[in-house]
Amino acid sequence: MSQSTGMPGEMNRRQLLRRIGLTALAAGPGAGLLSACATAGSGGADARTPATPAATAATSAANPLGVDPKKPLEVVIFNGGNGDGYATGLHQPLYRKAYPQAEIKHVPTQKIGTQLRPRFVSGDVPDVVNNSGPEALDMAALAAEGHLADLTALFDAPSIDDPGKKVRDTLVGGVQENSLIDGVPHVLNYTVAHRALWYNAKLFAAKGWTVPKTWDAFLALGEEAKKAGITLFAYPGQVGPFYQVWNLVYTAAKIGGNQVIVDIDNLADGAWTNPAVLASVTAWADLQARYGDKAYFGLDHTQTQIKHLQDKVAFYPCGSWLENEMAKDKPDSFEYAIAPVPSVTATDKLPAEAIMVGVSEAFFASAKGPNPAGGLEYLRIMLSREGARGYTERTKNLTVVNGVAEGLDLPPAVRSAAKAQDAAGRNTITDARFESWYKELFDHSQTQTNAVMAGRVTPEQFCANMQKKADEIKKDSSVSKQTRSA
Amino acid sequence: MFTRLRAFGFVAGFLVVPAVLYLAFVINPYVQAFQIALTDWRGVSRAPGFVGLENFARLWDDQAFWQALRNHGVLLVTLPLVTIALALFFAYLLNLGGGGASGTMRGVRWSGFYRVVFFLPQVLAVAVVGVLFKAVYRPDESGVVNGALIKLGLEPVGWLTEPGLALWSIIAVMVWQAVGFYVVLFSAGMAAIPRDVFEAAALDGAGRVRMFLSITLPLLWDTVQVGWVYLGIAAFDGFALVQVLSVDRGGPDGATTVLPLEIWKTAFSYSKFGYASAMGVALFFMTITFAALTLRVTRRERIEF
Amino acid sequence: MTLTTEPPLTTSSAAAPPASGRPRPGLLTGLSHVALVVWALLVVLPLLWTLLASFKDNTEIFGDALQLPAELRWDNWARAWSKANVGTYLLNTVIVVAAGTFGTMLLGSMAAYVLARYRFPGNRLIYYLFVSGMAFPVFLALVPLFFVVDQVGLLNTHTGLVLVYIAYSLPFTIFFLASFFKTLPTSVAEAAMIDGASHVRTFFQVMLPMARPGLVSITIFNVLGQWNQYLLPLVLLSGAKDKWVITQGIADISTIAGYEADWPGLFAALSMSIIPVVVVYAVFQRQIQSGLTSGALK
Repeated sequence: MSQSTGMPGEMNRRQLLRRIGLTALAAGPGAGLLSACATAGSGGADARTPATPAATAATSAANPLGVDPKKPLEVVIFNGGNGDGYATGLHQPLYRKAYPQAEIKHVPTQKIGTQLRPRFVSGDVPDVVNNSGPEALDMAALAAEGHLADLTALFDAPSIDDPGKKVRDTLVGGVQENSLIDGVPHVLNYTVAHRALWYNAKLFAAKGWTVPKTWDAFLALGEEAKKAGITLFAYPGQVGPFYQVWNLVYTAAKIGGNQVIVDIDNLADGAWTNPAVLASVTAWADLQARYGDKAYFGLDHTQTQIKHLQDKVAFYPCGSWLENEMAKDKPDSFEYAIAPVPSVTATDKLPAEAIMVGVSEAFFASAKGPNPAGGLEYLRIMLSREGARGYTERTKNLTVVNGVAEGLDLPPAVRSAAKAQDAAGRNTITDARFESWYKELFDHSQTQTNAVMAGRVTPEQFCANMQKKADEIKKDSSVSKQTRSA
Repeated sequence: MFTRLRAFGFVAGFLVVPAVLYLAFVINPYVQAFQIALTDWRGVSRAPGFVGLENFARLWDDQAFWQALRNHGVLLVTLPLVTIALALFFAYLLNLGGGGASGTMRGVRWSGFYRVVFFLPQVLAVAVVGVLFKAVYRPDESGVVNGALIKLGLEPVGWLTEPGLALWSIIAVMVWQAVGFYVVLFSAGMAAIPRDVFEAAALDGAGRVRMFLSITLPLLWDTVQVGWVYLGIAAFDGFALVQVLSVDRGGPDGATTVLPLEIWKTAFSYSKFGYASAMGVALFFMTITFAALTLRVTRRERIEF
Repeated sequence: MTLTTEPPLTTSSAAAPPASGRPRPGLLTGLSHVALVVWALLVVLPLLWTLLASFKDNTEIFGDALQLPAELRWDNWARAWSKANVGTYLLNTVIVVAAGTFGTMLLGSMAAYVLARYRFPGNRLIYYLFVSGMAFPVFLALVPLFFVVDQVGLLNTHTGLVLVYIAYSLPFTIFFLASFFKTLPTSVAEAAMIDGASHVRTFFQVMLPMARPGLVSITIFNVLGQWNQYLLPLVLLSGAKDKWVITQGIADISTIAGYEADWPGLFAALSMSIIPVVVVYAVFQRQIQSGLTSGALK
């Protein structure tokens, strides 16, 4: 389960297809091999992170970040859906290979906040953190305290596989845009995920059902499914109503364009009372009332996903990590496939094919840790071909590194997502960043989503309640504000 | 003079270690927490900004805070009432329910067995109880209760998803866990009541209900009040159960939220440690007030016999 | 109303004189039994269900709740044992709780005794300072507490955790024992003092044995409370997984179950943590119950 989110605005079809090796037409990495060896600037510390390389070793071509090879490194990994094997079995051995004298301390945890918060106050901070899960640290607060290393040096450093290329040129589009906090790159989102509705392709084939493109077809399928004893759509209401929050805002973006989400993230006046939001919420609440099952309001995500695998639910809103999460329980009769949310109106701004594509899994290096250069180097190793490809191999998640997943045996879900992105073309839905920017607003949206889907508030009240909370946050001086342009 | 000195030395000697430990590990962090309540600390900085009483002023129009308070109100009334009523009932049956109206007061058969079983939930960790009742309350046919309901041809019930029902479902778990303890507590109290009191009453023709109301309850009143204080303090908590069991952490629509959970969310999800500490200080004064009030009210003459 | 440790009234029929001529109210007795049986089932069934679920596979757990597992899948237990490290964590918990409870009882009874029976300036102040600790939500103190423990160099040690357990158990222990010591007759202590016993000797050799019922009952409270502690070890032992206690293990596997959908493993781990407690309780239940009641009643 991935919670942090981001979005590569310009990640296009070709980049993605190239990465997962579905097309031979996409240009290979040859171009890079031929290029002249432009030595990338080693990127010194900037004013915001004075603690960075003061005491580090000299830089060289092999060691562009100036890592002290003897300094130990501490890495904290969120031990969730992806486990921590990719760190202990892959990234850390790679680091050790480069710096055999360095000792690596590996800390897996599910309680990032509880464990690390006191350490950040005391100054005894780990060098690399995979800031994920329900207790992720507040990045804006960390940035304000100068704890986050500036990633400019990393992005400008030469790629491990191709010294002629800067790291930033090996990554998909949205990474840098999503790395910014108050205008400075601080966060590395490592994976790419696709979010829409998931269904069992084999079930649909057996039943002769087609994936609906319009809302009327969606409802008609609901009728069919009902006859077959299948719930058309379910989201987990107990833990994880945010899957449906995503669904509501992405649908709203489909109706009214990505600006709807941008306005929501910017806490713009009337962002939630936008007619597109109302139309989206109205459509989903109506669908839930007609073809939903209230039992799912009380189930968590894994419980709901197992019911989905048992063909008790036709469509489930989630991201492309879903198959990896459920791999152990997936029967052979089930094949994950992604379906865009059907068009709600005939005049939707985005076409029926549009799906959400975004980056997630936040990593950061500590500016005030004992080994800041080593932290950046660790991230650079993660972004190497071997590091990224191995990650995809182990976790079945695509990384933000271009062209490293060719020939890998990827699960149907990821292949299906790639195809869907192909169909969407440039019409991808942007991510909603209020999730990580304004957690309080996001929590409120989850409560309100459960309320409106269960019929306890009307869609109009939903919009009004959300707007009220957004206005409160806007006025709350203790919450630091972020903005986005697109 | 010498004895007094010796006594003081003894007092100081006995108090110094516990006091030092307590000051270092309890009072010191709490004082810091009180200080944090006056700041805008976000959990990671070393020098939080001082905001005075702003955090406390903010409590006034915090809906979640008041909703949590309402829920504590409900808990404060129902949890002790239901638990004590059930426990008295069972204790009475176990101790005196088996006797005839002839005045031979004794417990029902297997009362020892029941006492053991009833107490069992008390020894389970709350985290364990939470996970367990998640399975019991599951809203579909895989839930222990709803599975049985469906078997009987009834509609499954959204125990934790209906706003009108959810808090009661959680209170039921608290009662489930607590009853056994008070059964044992009251049993002992009843055992201490001289048998001949009952026998005399029985000879006068008093039924079991009358005996309970006019003999058992008054003589047990002191113990009942002790129970009331324990359960009252428990009613100000409820954190672990609500966090594990409830929908959407304290939902639906905040119907089951409690102050410790709101504090937890405010601090660890929203990184507003200053504001969360202010909530904690409010909770502190409420619990203290309750305990002081109850202890004052319950400090009454004991019935001696 | 001082109560002796006499065990609660039981069904020993020998004690019951022969029934007189009036008929037994059979209906009422029957109803009593029904009520007791129903409650006993309410207690036992969920526990039994957990035990059964530990042998099921995911499909069965997500199927009919009342169905039995098709086979005894011990591998659920093996997986939970290795993943949740139940053995190590149980042992750690026993060590920490034993040391913590002993320390709490020793220091708590000393402080309570002094506060209950000696007049000196500041007595009430110290008493209320201790007792007010009962009312404060623990997790608010977590972050400052972390630094305190860190400063004295006891982070990620069982010693640090034990000291913190003792400190946090003192308020209730002192509250409870102080009122208990007050109810003890003063004559015995006075007699001992006249015989020339020191304050310390009087306390350990006269007063403590007299307070035994109260000590037993508060010991049980402390064992249960420290056994259940989750937040404190989470913060204070976070960096040393081999030192974890059982609640951390359960929470760990419960979170992992959420990510890997290993529900049978979770129920196996739950069963493993329940069974030893139930066994210990079953063995000592008589002592626990008599101690509990006689103490709590003062």
